[in-house]
Amino acid sequence: MARTDAVTRILFEAFSAAEVRLFYALGYAAVAVFCYGVYVQIRKYRRGAALHLEGRLRTRLRDMLGTVLSHRTLDRRDPAAGGAHRLIFYGFALLFLGTATITLEYDILEPLFGIRFWHGEFYLWFSLVLDVAGVAMIGGLAYMMYRRGWLRLPKLDYARPDRVPSDPDFDRPQYRREDWAFLWILVTIGCTGYLLEATRLVWLQGRPDVWNVRWWSPVGAALAEGLRALGLTARGGAVFRHGLWWFHGLLALAFIALIPFTKVKHMFTSLGSVLVRDPLAAQRLPGIPESQAQPGVAKITDFNWKQLLNLDACTKCGRCHEACPARAVGAPLSPRDVILSLREFARATLESGTVPDAAELDVHGKSPGQVSQETLWSCRTCMACVEICPVAVEHVPIIVQMRRKLVEDGAMDPLLTKTLQTIHKTGNSFGESKRKRAGWTKALPFPIKDARKEPVDVLWFVGDYASFDPRNQKVTQTFAALLQEAGVDFGILYDAESNAGNDVRRVGEEGLYELLANANVAAMASASFKTIVTTDPHSYNTIRNEYPDFGGKYQIQHYTSFVKQLLADGRLRVTAPLEYRTTFHDPCHLGRFNKGYEAPRDVLKSLGCELVEMGRSRANSFCCGAGGGRIWIPDPVGSEKPAQNRIKEAAAIPGLEVYVVSCPKDLTMFEDALKTTGNEGRFVVKELIELIREAIPARRPEEVSA
Amino acid sequence: MKILVAVKQVAALDEDFAFRDDGRDVDADFLIRDLNEWDDFSLEEAVKIKETAAEGGAASSVEVIAVSVGPEEVDESLRKCLAKGADRAIRVWDAAIEGSDPIAIARVVAAVARREAPDMLFAGVQSSDQSFAATGIATAAFLDWPHAAVVSQLNYTPGAQRALFRRELEGGLLHEIEIQCPAVLTVQLGINTPRYASLRSIKQAAAKPIEILSLANIGLNAADVGESGSASRVRRMYIPDKARAELIDGDVAAQAQRLAAIIREFKGAGTGGGAA
Repeated sequence: MARTDAVTRILFEAFSAAEVRLFYALGYAAVAVFCYGVYVQIRKYRRGAALHLEGRLRTRLRDMLGTVLSHRTLDRRDPAAGGAHRLIFYGFALLFLGTATITLEYDILEPLFGIRFWHGEFYLWFSLVLDVAGVAMIGGLAYMMYRRGWLRLPKLDYARPDRVPSDPDFDRPQYRREDWAFLWILVTIGCTGYLLEATRLVWLQGRPDVWNVRWWSPVGAALAEGLRALGLTARGGAVFRHGLWWFHGLLALAFIALIPFTKVKHMFTSLGSVLVRDPLAAQRLPGIPESQAQPGVAKITDFNWKQLLNLDACTKCGRCHEACPARAVGAPLSPRDVILSLREFARATLESGTVPDAAELDVHGKSPGQVSQETLWSCRTCMACVEICPVAVEHVPIIVQMRRKLVEDGAMDPLLTKTLQTIHKTGNSFGESKRKRAGWTKALPFPIKDARKEPVDVLWFVGDYASFDPRNQKVTQTFAALLQEAGVDFGILYDAESNAGNDVRRVGEEGLYELLANANVAAMASASFKTIVTTDPHSYNTIRNEYPDFGGKYQIQHYTSFVKQLLADGRLRVTAPLEYRTTFHDPCHLGRFNKGYEAPRDVLKSLGCELVEMGRSRANSFCCGAGGGRIWIPDPVGSEKPAQNRIKEAAAIPGLEVYVVSCPKDLTMFEDALKTTGNEGRFVVKELIELIREAIPARRPEEVSA
Repeated sequence: MKILVAVKQVAALDEDFAFRDDGRDVDADFLIRDLNEWDDFSLEEAVKIKETAAEGGAASSVEVIAVSVGPEEVDESLRKCLAKGADRAIRVWDAAIEGSDPIAIARVVAAVARREAPDMLFAGVQSSDQSFAATGIATAAFLDWPHAAVVSQLNYTPGAQRALFRRELEGGLLHEIEIQCPAVLTVQLGINTPRYASLRSIKQAAAKPIEILSLANIGLNAADVGESGSASRVRRMYIPDKARAELIDGDVAAQAQRLAAIIREFKGAGTGGGAA
């Protein structure tokens, strides 16, 4: 092995002093353009509203590095793209670091301190590593080209569901041009790097310190052999090497200069976005600070800097576009396009020296860059987009903040307006008297304790749908009977309980949410209990994640985990095992929002049921369409509803007997969808509670009311 | 430029309710209170006129004033009006006003109108709880202003001498009327789409003034209101006996037998009438 100092990277050899000076001048210019671009971007983010980030920077950095180095989020639901990106990422990172090391020695360490390390064995190993890195990068890029050019993936189709083909921003061909330019420039930089290496070897084939160690750059060496076989001489190699050197170098410098102005900036913005990720972005929405004059977001500058950074982090990967239940049924919403629209808007308004007048910053509307209210009201806040985004874009808070402005202006469906007024007046969405809230208890053969009057172990927060909807009342009564038989010491809040407010908050009526949350926290403060149990995942989410901000810190369980415990403790015993072939629908607010994936499945299995998973389950569960206040807004006539789309998915399971849900709203939505899709009679929709009852028949059946 | 909007806080029955001891009204404990539905529309119409004038760059701005007659709890409804765009609110109350009929209430509203001298006075066609449909028109009588009831479309430029409006008549006919201002118009449901008052705006409306006036402030005395100032008086409020219906099942003989039993029952037990 050559161990001489002479073995080193051939840098400016055979260049005139003027050429070297020119290259340095261009290099500084490229870095200057890059720095200016970074400044413009940072200035743009700083034009957003202030935000105080919680959490320690060290933890954040560790999480970010973990996410980025593992490519964990990029692999999800698209392992091929994740793998290819991993090759590009590591290939590019190594090549960049390698090249940067040359600068470190040549421009800094050697001239200043006389330190040299870029020679001998170190150089050879690096040469090998970078050669492999180049192969990885080009391979990854080649797959991405194949993917864009041949696979025709729907998620990479930039046509927008919220625009018509005649709109100027319908399918945005400039995005496709940029995608391809990005791929070609990188591939060209990589390929010319190898050619440059090969021609250099041919040129210097007479020098043993170069030629003898050529196989440490295997790709370059193989190419060099090929070129020699084709008749390239040392002299010819010198000419080509000179030309390619400049071509490769200029392309690389241009690439660096363009980073902040093109999609290439995702290398930085995605890192930043992952760094400032809020793990409870959709589960715990922000309140409105007292100091804020107008609720929500009206102007682009009302978004905080983190949200503006989120907009730039988007890589158009289309995972959210694919996961969105509203988009799936043809509603005018794609979370991707909300983000991209706002990104265009921020780019057009906030990147120049001065910020335009307030009138030109309005993000609501139908012009390019604006988001229409039809789009905003299509959202189910099901969190599918936030959950799958590989770069931590938080769409749901952005949409809800924009809805807050719409609510303030009264720009919403009349039925939603009516419902909000009803909730304000009566504390529930059914418009029933408060006194009637516990009306369902009258049919029970035993009294239920009033937790405000006597201490209980378990406070049952019943929720609106479970309290008032006639079909759900039967389930509620069944659950009461199960608790009673299991000997659970439980009580309810009777007329002091109000709508928990989860969906009111997601509609964007923050004032009403505050009223409801404060009322419930006050009611619970008047009761004495150890833990809370609820059958309603929506109430579960807001009490668990959002009530702490209102001074209500409790232990709360969804009934699925509570029943699982009762079964494990033997307080409930399965005496009539079921043998149904079932499938389970994960409610958004139990599954994605609060990771309650296992308990309902465990309960289902301990009842003896066979569980066949649907394609879209757990984190990828498909929303029933009721969330985010959509249960109060009629779906457009004639279009498919998310619940129908879902029931069709379940209907494809051969021999399915029971479609199991564990959410009152799901029961309503899917029983309806079962009928409207013509699947009635083929299988049934049941609450898990009903199956539990079936498998654990009442010991004294005459005492349990229907 | 002023538009005065007379509003009322109405009561709706809770699930169970009981009558007051004097049997002339429902016990207040069983009532859920809210702004009268018609008043949502009349207020919205006034606020829309104000906003249109402001957008059109009118020389003088329009002030919308909500006025109501009632005790302190009425402030809640007035705050809703303020949240929806009224500039200020006036509430008139005096213990003597208790028991007033719509004519006496109209006397109070008219006194406020004389004090404020608005260019237009709106009221709802009727209230959803009492349904007299009298207050607005009686106010016009006290003021001796022109008036029209059940207005379903309005074209009025603030400060104009005349307003143009439409009324819906039976048989699908429309009435188009021109009226001299100032006038009293009672506004029908559906004339516009009332805006939503967010909870936040209602809270913020707490900063806007609600002026509390006594009878003396508006130049009236106790005799002008209450039962002494009223031309009518509620004697009692009650639930009528329910009519009964029964579907008789069975064959002809059984049906006849049951029918006979019912007739006997209605003739009264113990009279011992002959066979039916």
